[in-house]
Amino acid sequence: MKFLKNIHGVLLVVCLLFAGNAKASSIEFNKQQLATIKTQNMGKQWLMLLWSVDCPPCFKELAIIQQLQKQHNDLAIVIINTDANDEINAERDDIIKKFELSRLSNFHFIDGKGAQSRFLIDASWYGELPRSYFIESNGKFHGKSGLVNQAMLRQWLLQ
Amino acid sequence: MPTLIYKSLFLTVFVSLLLSVNNSVAAEHNHQSASVTAALTKETPAKMAQTVPCAETNIVCAKTVTSAFAPNGDLWRLWAINASLYFQISTDNGLTFSASSRIAIDKEKISARNENRPKIAFDNYQGVYVSWASPKEKKYSADIRFSYSSDYGKTFTKPVTVNDDNLLTGHSFNEMLVTDEGDISLVWLDSRLTYQLRKEGKPTNGSALYLGKANYRKSDLGFSNEQLANNTCVCCRIAIDYNNQGELAIFWRHIYGDNIREFALLTLANGEKVQQVPYQISYDHWKINGCPHQGGAISINENNRYHLVWFNQGDVGKGIFYASSHDQGKSLTKPISVGVQAAQAAHPHLNTNGNNIDIVWTQFNGTEHELWHQRSPNNGKSFNNAVLLATATEGSDRPFIIKNGKTSYVSWHRPKQGHWVQAL
Repeated sequence: MKFLKNIHGVLLVVCLLFAGNAKASSIEFNKQQLATIKTQNMGKQWLMLLWSVDCPPCFKELAIIQQLQKQHNDLAIVIINTDANDEINAERDDIIKKFELSRLSNFHFIDGKGAQSRFLIDASWYGELPRSYFIESNGKFHGKSGLVNQAMLRQWLLQ
Repeated sequence: MPTLIYKSLFLTVFVSLLLSVNNSVAAEHNHQSASVTAALTKETPAKMAQTVPCAETNIVCAKTVTSAFAPNGDLWRLWAINASLYFQISTDNGLTFSASSRIAIDKEKISARNENRPKIAFDNYQGVYVSWASPKEKKYSADIRFSYSSDYGKTFTKPVTVNDDNLLTGHSFNEMLVTDEGDISLVWLDSRLTYQLRKEGKPTNGSALYLGKANYRKSDLGFSNEQLANNTCVCCRIAIDYNNQGELAIFWRHIYGDNIREFALLTLANGEKVQQVPYQISYDHWKINGCPHQGGAISINENNRYHLVWFNQGDVGKGIFYASSHDQGKSLTKPISVGVQAAQAAHPHLNTNGNNIDIVWTQFNGTEHELWHQRSPNNGKSFNNAVLLATATEGSDRPFIIKNGKTSYVSWHRPKQGHWVQAL
């Protein structure tokens, strides 16, 4: 009985550890994930930010998100890496850690499926970065290419 | 209730503001449209490459491939995997290739994806020239590297760093041309000025365009470093060609005003920068504080007409555009649209061959990448219908047109499927 209690204790600790890191690693992006993301965020204004390790301005937007996140919990932000290249996985994960974005939902395009993934989100987007989608509570997407300033992000996420 | 009204009002104002700067909003542009009726002459099933598992250094596993014909008609292809450069040679225009050879230099990181890739060129004396960007330990820092073979690829010199600033900063997007006599012209995007300005706490905007010249055949081994322009876009490839006086013409994406990304053109007279201000070529008004990841292409024919192709997503012009100039870019024909904008037409390249102007680009149909080709048989006065050449499912490298005498070929690498070469 004591053994079982100990096992329960260990399992609890393991579960808590996993729960704490539930969003720590990036998830492969696909059609089902996109549907889930949309469903989960329905009814609130949220932001989808797409970035690449080869995009210096993207880092500026990640830094803004980092700052906002320090000031506010539970920001409705989904972050998606668009490199679609397994060679950069370690670099991508390092950047997510560096900008302290592990608590947010992080996804990445599957190796070789960059265009397919872009197409799922927006068939009229050519892959220029950073790309931000401002999504209304009714699920309507508004895309913007290029760096978005902090005031605009703050206004959208915190109003 | 007042809260609801406030929220509705806020949403309306915010979205209006967003749309006013949102380049995904459809806007009419003032360019003519070329005929793009598809003649479906897709590759035959026998030629269609199947997805294959990746062996370590196999070209199939490369993200990019660079191809060029040597003066003797051999087709070389070059790629980078695992911090090494590999090449193969074909004596039958790409039907078959030799076993792959690793360039015997010490391993180092090599930029080889999307707009960045190694380059290869030849002289008329068995000389083979390779250059690449090598990322350093700090993010977005890299050096331009160079190695030379005097014996047609049997041995290569120990690589040298071309940029002479010894700074841990950006030097990337190298392009290289070599004359028959071995005069090397290397251009690249350089962040040394940005590095200094940042140290002084001053604002910066983009990179600078640099030129390095040397001649290894004549023991002129030290690359010069000359700044040609400042405020270039930081993440698009450069395009270069010689005109019929042997002068170097450079075509790149520049930053005008408040992050307006337009293409610029500069021709060096006898290797010197006489033209002080580059000509602005595109006026599509693409305002983006970001990375287009789409450079242009230039090809100059025997009559010294400059043929140009580029991609923009501005509120004046969207998509791929072709135009030409008889006076080195001072004036320009009216740009015409190429490809289907709604089908993600992008990454154009072009080449001239006699009176032929060939343009290739990629499109995406929701499932597959498509390689398209369109030819003008009369120096750009009119174009034949666009033709679909091949497809890819596991990603798409940029397509390029290379020449072997009077025949032009398209080179298109399809990661996990293989490298595609076909006469146009």
